Amino acid sequence: MAATAAAVVHRPAAPEQASLWSDAWRRLRRNRLALAGVIYLTFLVAVAVLALFYTPYRMSEVGVTLPYSGPNAHHWLGADYLGRDILSRIMVGAQISLVVGVGTQVVVIAVGVPIGLMAGYFRGWFDQGVSFIINLFYGIPDLLVALILVFLLGPSLTNIIIAIAVTRWMDMARLVRGQALALREREFIEAARASGAKPFKILFGHILPNSLGPIIVQATFGVPAAILFEAFLSFLGLGVPPPQPSWGSMAADGIAAIRIAPHIVIAPSIALSLTLMAFNFLGDGLRDALDPRQRR
Amino acid sequence: MPSPILQVRDLRTQFLTDGGIVTAVDGVSFDLYPGESLGIVGESGSGKSVTALSLLRLVPDPGKVVGGQVLFRDQDLLQLSGEEIREIRGRDVAMIFQDPQSSLNPVLRTGFQIDEAMLAHKKATKKEAHARTIELLKRVRIPAAESRVKDFPHQLSGGMRQRAMIAMGLSNAPAILIADEPTTALDVTVQAQILELLADLNRDLGTAIIMITHNMGVVAGLCSRVLVMYAGEIVEEGPVEQIFENPQHPYTWSLLRSIPRVDALRHERLRSIEGLAPDLLHPPSGCRFHPRCPFRIEKCLRDEPRLQEVAPNQQAACWVTMDRARKEMGADDRTDIRPGAGSGLKPGELID
Repeated sequence: MAATAAAVVHRPAAPEQASLWSDAWRRLRRNRLALAGVIYLTFLVAVAVLALFYTPYRMSEVGVTLPYSGPNAHHWLGADYLGRDILSRIMVGAQISLVVGVGTQVVVIAVGVPIGLMAGYFRGWFDQGVSFIINLFYGIPDLLVALILVFLLGPSLTNIIIAIAVTRWMDMARLVRGQALALREREFIEAARASGAKPFKILFGHILPNSLGPIIVQATFGVPAAILFEAFLSFLGLGVPPPQPSWGSMAADGIAAIRIAPHIVIAPSIALSLTLMAFNFLGDGLRDALDPRQRR
Repeated sequence: MPSPILQVRDLRTQFLTDGGIVTAVDGVSFDLYPGESLGIVGESGSGKSVTALSLLRLVPDPGKVVGGQVLFRDQDLLQLSGEEIREIRGRDVAMIFQDPQSSLNPVLRTGFQIDEAMLAHKKATKKEAHARTIELLKRVRIPAAESRVKDFPHQLSGGMRQRAMIAMGLSNAPAILIADEPTTALDVTVQAQILELLADLNRDLGTAIIMITHNMGVVAGLCSRVLVMYAGEIVEEGPVEQIFENPQHPYTWSLLRSIPRVDALRHERLRSIEGLAPDLLHPPSGCRFHPRCPFRIEKCLRDEPRLQEVAPNQQAACWVTMDRARKEMGADDRTDIRPGAGSGLKPGELID
């Protein structure tokens, strides 16, 4: 009987509402700003990868041209106070920014998501403890925490990522906790429990997949925040150690000569601003695209 | 008669609310026999769903099972460790819920979720589970099962989702399937199909079914025995035909009188049960049904009746019972003795 039914019922080969993700991607493409953000960021990643193999000049080589010289045919963005090629340094700086931005969010997700899931799902003393610690971290000025940590651990790329993540994990933990709190009351969680699913399975097999949208949006907004924080630390001289260029330290290098050679400050600042904007546009677009209320 | 597969003894479940303690299930006892299909009926808030959830210790916060025993194959489910009860859930006792729309995880493929139910109990390898999922979907009569396994829940109709839930419930060949209002959220025609499916599965696979419902019609169609719950207690219990034919508790009687019937006489008005379900924070004294009961006597206000044999295999918790009420009112089986039905009898006449 089932066989005949199968033969009779004709189904369209590929239903258009195939999945949440293809649906979201379709909506994201319709958002012009978000699409511009995606294109810019793709370009930025390509530049950062290219800089691994090729830069017009060696980024740390001093005196490739006259110090403070402005943009020209050989040095599109001019040279800094040591006569280093700014374009080459911005390309390498893109690596730093992306690694810090994405790396921080990887740590934030790795720490914040499990903590938030457990706090929201198990509630009780664990939740109270976590919420207390979250509020404690919110109470301490993040700049102070990061400065002290970098000072204690020493300035390196890894330590900067750790320091920023320490000041940022609470947003993710709090968001995921809220998601878990809401989802744990849903009937499919009850059904999963009734079918004998273990807590670990419920957390990572049921609640997490349903929270991915908000987590992705939060992480996307977290990347520019981390990049800005790194630029700020570098501007203060607590960023990646020289001669490694960071957009923040490049701007700091030029600040003394801003009247005579403003391009030294302007070039990395524009790179930074465009990147922050692109991530924010993308985050906004993702938020709209992944909003379940807008589905169909 | 074979020995019961499930013995519930004096089950008590309470909710700790801001206003005080609500005893949602108050001393419920019953047996379930292998392959039987048992109905638990009652209106909203009667404790029927909480009873079902209590059996598997799934009562949501701030609820808690505070007493009694749930004996399944000679072990008390209420005494098991968290790990042990998880083993029972879904493997030996499965449960399906009211709203198939929300009982499936919206972001996971339907077939995958059924696979998982089997893998959770290590009943099968991934490959075996997948093959069995398709088999199960065919068993519950989902057309084109091979392609439907890859569908997300929102791509299935309500009826198909409930079929998928039933397939998931059956995936580990449980001894007991608890169905908590499985047809309430569905269209009437689909309801009938689902009930028919459950009846078939009950007969063919020998799975015992506990059917939780507020719908007497569902009980009539599927169950052989029925428990009637009111305000957290069982007020009447017995074989379905007998209860429909000759209800002894005034609540059961009123419940049956409030079902619309196509064969009813035109001039017969549909009667709802007067009053509201009791506030369980402050349950009425004596018999909990007495404020709404048309046949109460003074004893009902003071003393709580216990379940007692009123006919072979039939028990009711009532001081009066319908037989006595009829006799005292001088009415035979045919007389309409509903309050205000124009039979010449005044409501509450029995109150002494």
